[in-house]
Amino acid sequence: MLSSMLLGRYIPGDSIIHRLDPRAKIVSVVLFMIIVFFANHWIGYGLLILFVLGLIRTAQINLFFLFNGLKILLFILIFTFLLHIFFTRGGTTLVEWGFIQIDSEGVITGIYITVRLVMLLVITTILTLTTSPIELTDAIERLGSPLRKVKVPIHELAMMISISLRFIPTLMDETEKIIKAQSARGSTFMTGRLKSRINALIPIFIPLFISAFKRAEEMAVAMEVRGYTGEAGRTSYRELKWQLRDTAAILVVILFGVLLYMVRM
Amino acid sequence: MIKIDNLTYRYQADAPKALDDISLSFKTGDWVSIIGHNGSGKSTLVKLMMGILEGYSGEISVDGEVLTPDNLQRFRERFAIVFQNPDNQFVGATVEDDVAFGLENQGLPREVMLERTEAALEAVNMLAYRRHAPARLSGGQKQRVAIAGALAMEPAVLILDEATSMLDPEGRSDMLAILNDIHKTRTTTLIYITHDLGEIEDSDYAVIMKDGKVISEGTIEHIFSDTDTLIESRLVLPYQMQISRALLDGGYVTHDELVARL
Repeated sequence: MLSSMLLGRYIPGDSIIHRLDPRAKIVSVVLFMIIVFFANHWIGYGLLILFVLGLIRTAQINLFFLFNGLKILLFILIFTFLLHIFFTRGGTTLVEWGFIQIDSEGVITGIYITVRLVMLLVITTILTLTTSPIELTDAIERLGSPLRKVKVPIHELAMMISISLRFIPTLMDETEKIIKAQSARGSTFMTGRLKSRINALIPIFIPLFISAFKRAEEMAVAMEVRGYTGEAGRTSYRELKWQLRDTAAILVVILFGVLLYMVRM
Repeated sequence: MIKIDNLTYRYQADAPKALDDISLSFKTGDWVSIIGHNGSGKSTLVKLMMGILEGYSGEISVDGEVLTPDNLQRFRERFAIVFQNPDNQFVGATVEDDVAFGLENQGLPREVMLERTEAALEAVNMLAYRRHAPARLSGGQKQRVAIAGALAMEPAVLILDEATSMLDPEGRSDMLAILNDIHKTRTTTLIYITHDLGEIEDSDYAVIMKDGKVISEGTIEHIFSDTDTLIESRLVLPYQMQISRALLDGGYVTHDELVARL
């Protein structure tokens, strides 16, 4: 289940979406999140679905692969759908059974809201699927740089994100090693009552925390001797180049927004 | 030239001396090995030289300039260091980002960084991996990237603090080959810290430490012919020396000489 999960995963590729400037992608996604709310009837939602399907095609992402990866969120979607079916009133009453009443308006709103959620999920997944974590961090740092004026330590935040991301595989390996070591000493994690299973996790987390702190300390020394003193006087090796296609991408999203606004009823 | 005079250091006021009145001097461009067991003080010595630890007595100077709290930052720029654990010193998200990290900190223009990064990766045979993430590299490859990151900063002194101790034999011999190459082609002073006498064959000068004191120093021939001190240091002799002591006169021989004499 974890291996098929797509949230936050990056899959290298060479589509036009992959090659867009990460800043353009983030700005587009934020715009899209607003635009989604323009749709208020079936034409709008239809256009929304078509637009997102087009994006998936352009990004060369396998449709089945994408929805399979988002299956984990199915529960939330069903929950939202049911919530609207049961609590939205209006239109003709379809079912009335005891205290449960389902109206036609409820079914329609339920479908609309679920489609809206799915579109939001898919669009953000397209962003993370086509943009490497380091590009995302870079983009956040650049886009967030005006926040420096109000004393938000944006460089430090970006540095923290990038180092955390860099350590995820290392700590995963470490966790696996500790689990094996504790299993070899006879501890079991998968059987027994909930309480004993939770107790069995303690001997995994404590060594993991200790080693994470040790790593952090060594890392700090290594960064210090390489002359890291924070943002001041630092230059950047990575370069983000804004190109015509990035402006074009944002324009496409805006035009789509205008279109969606025009078909509102 | 690096000069260390009467250096004494304790980690805590009531702790035993981690370094006990050490005086050493290393020539520019030499490959110096410092050998000792855990707790002999060899890593402490390096940390003091780089100004990571404070509160010592004695004096450390490079090319006549004495280390003080005021010139710490500038002093450090002469040194680059590669630590033991390949994972805990990899800062960048990819190989090239990591090599450029130190250069970014120095505030160099991008063109210089690109040039130096490429040259440094070339020197350690890792150019083909420049866009790889650390998770896809072996321990030996990560250490080679760490050396590249150090070289890119063009230090006067390159310190390797047990940099090979977590590597497999192949990774170790790769590292030693690269260091040999650096030693031949550059004027960088190499300070190589190890607990393995088998790794010091290529050094120009060696220092054996025990319990915070220097018990022997000199050329490799001198170190290996001083049999009593070697026994006192309780270090494991390299195999050609063991054979020399068992079958020959016990004097220093290299692999080739041993073969010739047998």
